[in-house]
Amino acid sequence: MTAESYVRSTAVMGTIATIEVVGCDSAETAVDTAFEWFRRIEACCSRFDTASELSQLSSKIGNPVPVSAILYEAVQFAIAVAEETGGAFDPTVGYRMEAAGFNREYHTGRPVQAAFDADDSVSYRDVLLDPAQKTIRLLKPMLLDLGAVAKGFAVDMAARELLPFKDFAIDAGGDLYLGGCNSEGRAWSVGIRHPRHDGELIDSISVSNQAVCTSGNYERGEHILDPRRAHATGNAVSVTVVAQTAMLADAIATAAFVLGPPEGIQLLERIGVEGLIITPSLERFETQGMRHG
Amino acid sequence: MAKISSSLTALSSAAILAVYAVGYHRTSAAADRFARQGEHESPEPPIVTNFVAPAQALPSFKSKLAVPPENALERAANRETATKTEIESNGSAPAVTPSDPAPAPVEVPPPSTPEDIARTPAPVLEAASPDIPPPPPPPSLPAALQYKDGTYTGWGSCRHGDIQASVVIEGGRIASATIAQCYTRYPCTWIEHAPGQVVARQSIKVDYVSGATQSVDAFKQAVAEALAKAK
Repeated sequence: MTAESYVRSTAVMGTIATIEVVGCDSAETAVDTAFEWFRRIEACCSRFDTASELSQLSSKIGNPVPVSAILYEAVQFAIAVAEETGGAFDPTVGYRMEAAGFNREYHTGRPVQAAFDADDSVSYRDVLLDPAQKTIRLLKPMLLDLGAVAKGFAVDMAARELLPFKDFAIDAGGDLYLGGCNSEGRAWSVGIRHPRHDGELIDSISVSNQAVCTSGNYERGEHILDPRRAHATGNAVSVTVVAQTAMLADAIATAAFVLGPPEGIQLLERIGVEGLIITPSLERFETQGMRHG
Repeated sequence: MAKISSSLTALSSAAILAVYAVGYHRTSAAADRFARQGEHESPEPPIVTNFVAPAQALPSFKSKLAVPPENALERAANRETATKTEIESNGSAPAVTPSDPAPAPVEVPPPSTPEDIARTPAPVLEAASPDIPPPPPPPSLPAALQYKDGTYTGWGSCRHGDIQASVVIEGGRIASATIAQCYTRYPCTWIEHAPGQVVARQSIKVDYVSGATQSVDAFKQAVAEALAKAK
């Protein structure tokens, strides 16, 4: 028995986001709302938009700045992941990405330049959060980059919005959340891109009520820098993480990409998520739960 | 280890619930305040934003098929698909307010444990290489019979450029779906599994792929547009 699905796509966050709601032809309003979360989070968390709340925060150094719930939660989570990964994931890597040439707004190609010289020693330890006042204080000039958190956060918010529908899929340029079952009543089938062989998948997994995110240096080119060394990483070509939330999967995939195997796998096991790391020589490193029986 | 596991997972779940509980209206207040300040400091209107660097900054990744797709999304915005699969123009959607639920919802994310993940190979996934012909269509798919015979084309766009799909309908069924033209920065070869899946499943739906799937999305849009013409 195959159920009809309501499917819509929209351009947001520099990619095409697709939402599919299974077995429901009246999901339009909920899907509109789900997409609006993407736009809302993008408006808060983009480092390419000088009007974004994140950019404005980056220009206020030394004082506690009251921020929205979206920005506070995104930064708080990013800092927690930075602490957990010993800086392999670090949202203060933004200025180094800009220095490395990741500084163009993609529609116009116009360079985006911070209005300050960031301190080379800046790290996540220079971001102070006040949970009571919901303020963020930046101790040094910096350019926060929430790219590895914001898109996953948006996927999660969309998933929360669609929770009443039970069976749905959200695809934000390969960052996925799969709720319930697909239109055939089975767990969702998710392919994992082969990092080197065009047109092939290196694996496929069945997923239900979980997020799947893959960080890799392929379609978008090299976009992950090692915050600890400020240059592109080289130990992995692709990292896929399956987790309960997309923001966790995305951030941890980024950190594991920087670490490479075997530290990356150790991180995944320690955090309690499943994952697969592919090296430049196409060697596979998997968490125990990811291995097929 | 379990403590760490629950802490990061719980933190992300708590973030989702916190923002959801606050809702769109209250969440937007601080952002709007910053935006107003931004207007004073920057006379230019807000630009469409992005979280990744463009490929142009990375010469080693430039495609052999490089055709500047400068108007790709603009073209997408001007193009309408008449099927259930729609592409919205960026920023043109009416403002919709995410729900502002009752205070303090005590909701738990969907139950999920690593054990919930079935580790069997996907039952419906065809990772067909270009050399392997697509499998024959299933014997009975009534939904596919609505198409009129002929060859139809459609366009799909992604930020990497445009893809044209060509769909052949024979006997009311999808006989073939191919990439007719590829004007993306990257070669289209890596999405060659998608056409085979369209034929095998008589549907625009291909499996979701983790890891930068914008080109696949563009192909799906293109097939959707072509199939709309075949009805």
